[in-house]
Amino acid sequence: MSVSRDDVLRIAQLAELDVEEDALPDVAEQMSRILDYVAQLSAMPASTNGTVKTFVPGPDAIRFRPDEVAPWPLAFGPAAFAPAFKEGFFVVPKLGQFE
Amino acid sequence: MAAGWETVIGLETHVQLRTKSKMFCGCSTAFGAPPNTQVCPVCLGLPGALPVPNGAAIRLAVRGALSLGCTVHPKSIFARKNYFYPDLPKGYQISQHDQPLATNGTLSFVSPERGIVNATIVRLHVEEDAGKSIHDRFPKATAVDLNRSGVPLIEIVGGPDLRSPAEARAYLLTLKQLLEYIGISDCDMEKGSLRVDANVSVRREGVTALSTRTEVKNINSFAFVEKALSVERDRQIALVESGGSVTQQTMLYDSRESTVRPQRSKEESHDYRYFPEPDLPPLVLTPEFVAEEQSELPELPPAKRDRFAAQYALSREHATVLTASRGVAEYYENVVRAGAEHQAAANWIMTEALADAKDHQEQLRVPAAGLAQIIALVKGGTLSHQAAKRVFAEVAAKGGDPRTIAESLGLIQVADSNVVAAWVTDVLGAHAPEVGRYKNGETKLMAFFLGQVMRASKGKADPKLAQRVLEEKLASAS
Amino acid sequence: MSDAKAVADRLVKSKRLNALLTPSKELRSALTAQAAAARPTGVLYGMPVAVKDNICTLEFTTTCGSRILEGYRSPYEATAVTKLKAAGALIAGKTNCDEFAMGSSTEHSAYGRVVHPLDKTRVPGGSSGGSAALVGAGALPAALGSETGGSVRQPASFCGVVGIKPTYGRVSRYGLVAFGSSLDQIGVLGRSVHDAARVLSVISGRDPRDATCEDRDPLRLPTVPESLQGFVIGLPREYFPAELDPAVRRACDRAVRLLRDLGAAVREVSLPHTAYAVPTYYVIAPAEASSNLARYDGVRYGPRFDGHADLRGLYRATRGQGFGAEVRRRILVGTYVLSAGFYDAYYRRAQQMRALIAQDFRNVFDRGVDLLFTPTTPSPAFKAGEKLSDPIAMYMSDIFTVTANLAGVPAISLPIGRVKGLPIGGQLIGQAFLEDEMLEAAYALERVVPATDEA
Repeated sequence: MSVSRDDVLRIAQLAELDVEEDALPDVAEQMSRILDYVAQLSAMPASTNGTVKTFVPGPDAIRFRPDEVAPWPLAFGPAAFAPAFKEGFFVVPKLGQFE
Repeated sequence: MAAGWETVIGLETHVQLRTKSKMFCGCSTAFGAPPNTQVCPVCLGLPGALPVPNGAAIRLAVRGALSLGCTVHPKSIFARKNYFYPDLPKGYQISQHDQPLATNGTLSFVSPERGIVNATIVRLHVEEDAGKSIHDRFPKATAVDLNRSGVPLIEIVGGPDLRSPAEARAYLLTLKQLLEYIGISDCDMEKGSLRVDANVSVRREGVTALSTRTEVKNINSFAFVEKALSVERDRQIALVESGGSVTQQTMLYDSRESTVRPQRSKEESHDYRYFPEPDLPPLVLTPEFVAEEQSELPELPPAKRDRFAAQYALSREHATVLTASRGVAEYYENVVRAGAEHQAAANWIMTEALADAKDHQEQLRVPAAGLAQIIALVKGGTLSHQAAKRVFAEVAAKGGDPRTIAESLGLIQVADSNVVAAWVTDVLGAHAPEVGRYKNGETKLMAFFLGQVMRASKGKADPKLAQRVLEEKLASAS
Repeated sequence: MSDAKAVADRLVKSKRLNALLTPSKELRSALTAQAAAARPTGVLYGMPVAVKDNICTLEFTTTCGSRILEGYRSPYEATAVTKLKAAGALIAGKTNCDEFAMGSSTEHSAYGRVVHPLDKTRVPGGSSGGSAALVGAGALPAALGSETGGSVRQPASFCGVVGIKPTYGRVSRYGLVAFGSSLDQIGVLGRSVHDAARVLSVISGRDPRDATCEDRDPLRLPTVPESLQGFVIGLPREYFPAELDPAVRRACDRAVRLLRDLGAAVREVSLPHTAYAVPTYYVIAPAEASSNLARYDGVRYGPRFDGHADLRGLYRATRGQGFGAEVRRRILVGTYVLSAGFYDAYYRRAQQMRALIAQDFRNVFDRGVDLLFTPTTPSPAFKAGEKLSDPIAMYMSDIFTVTANLAGVPAISLPIGRVKGLPIGGQLIGQAFLEDEMLEAAYALERVVPATDEA
């Protein structure tokens, strides 16, 4: 199966990534190669007995944290690392003409 | 509303849970702190930070689910909801999707139009709140405060069971009361601890299939709920009647203009690409945990109201008022337990206590024992009702013992019949012509005599006693 | 106790490797300060350990080999780093790596490629190439790396050093910049099994800041065993395909003979779903990565790039200019496999295949096998530029390593020989949370294997 130019644009939009017009064919081709390669997985039958398990390593159940005000420490606050910070707020450009 | 149309509404409610710390980190949830001061690597979405769930939040969520009669699932999964927005620091929200905490509950409420409605609760799940974006503080820019990022929320999704904007409001008020009762949230729409989005569609009367719906957002108060939904309903009806069709979209309510307009921003497509949160194991609840929360559920509003009506011989209206909040209901029972008569306690609370509370952040300032005392003083004739109201106000403002305060204010009524008789004699003596007119049939003058006795006694005479003495004296003399 | 100056000198001498991202001056002053403050009672007292640049430190910047975090100073440090410092170790700078740990050659760093310690035309492997190169060059006894699909073991094999990947959940991920959350673990590169294991022991153990970290005590190190009598070692046939490089095969055969001589029983086993491991990995890892990297949006940290007239512009400029081509490619693939209509066919299917792969391991271990032995990589270090044109060719170098990440089991690579003068590693794969058995076998093999002899 192939990834079209439009697919790439749609996916890039979801991921907030720009893909240059002239790079689109290459990106589409590379994505197609990778996705064709991983599509081997569909060779595996969907399910033999109705319930197919998935697997994730790690603990079987969440162990809760007590409800205490005890934040993990910050050596310095946002003012020191934020690219744009004013009057205590992070500052970003507005969302175009829609808001 | 135009005839022949039926409105179909389902509400999605987001409720902030009353915990001290956030859902996935130990930052404080306290409201009103300076911006970006209640933050840490986790809720800032810093590289390398990880979520760790707050046990109390889960407890409260389970309590909420049980109070709605939901099935609480022993195993549920957290999932990532992926989208970009400046107040969503990780670029995804940790929520629940395929396997939520609870499903299949009911919220019974009284519809203004059709009596009791059992609205379905489709699901209740746990998630984290986003931060706050402020669009009007800086020119051409958005200010972002992440204090709220990570605060625990439950999302309660109701089915399309509501049939009018007024019903939507009633449903919400009932839900708010329930959640306040079980103590899991402040449910304050102004503070944002209760937020609602509404799904609205219209269909011709008699049609059973659901039409295309829109989602209405940005409703900031209970009053606006009705207004916003009415506006959207009317818009949809007008659209269809003029030959158009409703498109599925998000509409933002503008309270100043009283209009709704489409929200075109945020995400062009709603592909949230949900997948199980790999940073969190499954949420597993033991039967003991759930049973414990079930047993900790307090008496819920409908049961308490019915019990009050029966146990205290109160009318249904009065029982409803007195059980509207758990705090007031407890207060009532404490006042009664301290010896006050049922109806008197009800009257005093519904008038004086609630009025005072309204002006003082809902605090019931007069201790239950104190109110019981005041009621007893009135019943025993020691205080007139007016005097008692003054004493109540004093105790509310400054505390203290009601009897002592009454004495120091000189409000104790004189119930000594000799003293009262003397005043009566003086009054009758001073108003012989009126006495004559009274005996000739102008019995209305009793009120006049009584007023004169009260004046003569500077308000201290027990009016009931005074009236009796007046009647005796006026009857005997000829 | 290492002299801070001597440590710094050795590291500065290895500058040609481009393995260390920390400027020399900053490195020297930090090492001096740390040496003065280090706890003399710590088990790693004075040991210099470099840290891969995708692990947060308070000392030095954390860039993850990317422009999008250029100059970023983390306001907190990883639990693993805190534990190292508490044990008296010296944090000897941040090492170069493939951008956000995505790569198998450290050619995808925004700060230039890392050079193989023995052959400057070759890659050191990746993504922990900087850490492996420094240890391989003798500049340090140990360094932290990270694993998602083999990023510690593969460069260990290429550079002739030891590389350990612990059981998933053995070491806290708090402060490890996430790539594939259900696969990631901090691992250790070391000049010997002992050096690497000592460091692993210190950084392991419970951490309330990571919900996926198991509630266990730190790893206790075994003693070097006299023999491997009683050990049953399996050789999975899928890892010894017909087309395996004959020199690599010879090195493995020699190592297996030595294991037998040590008293271990060796038998052939099968992990039937091995062929699906790489495609499974290349669905799950990019999917999780696409979500984990969404936070790099220019809003709260990192540099801002030009072209942000509005919010969308900010996102696109930051991510378009801040991320390199390989990262962008993986984000696109990851977004695609999670998107509506494709989730079941790709992501869900991959998670199911993952269960089968994990089951393969359990089946073998349940039948009396203690450990598995395999080659770590199908070949020694390749030439720089050789695999850049075809991403899939690059992915295939992970073929023997990704299964352990998918199954969550521990694995260790140690040098077992040379192929035309280049190091090659052999891998032991152990059972979940039984690193001690794996280390016993590794200790024993290390003592007898002629690691610098041609196979």
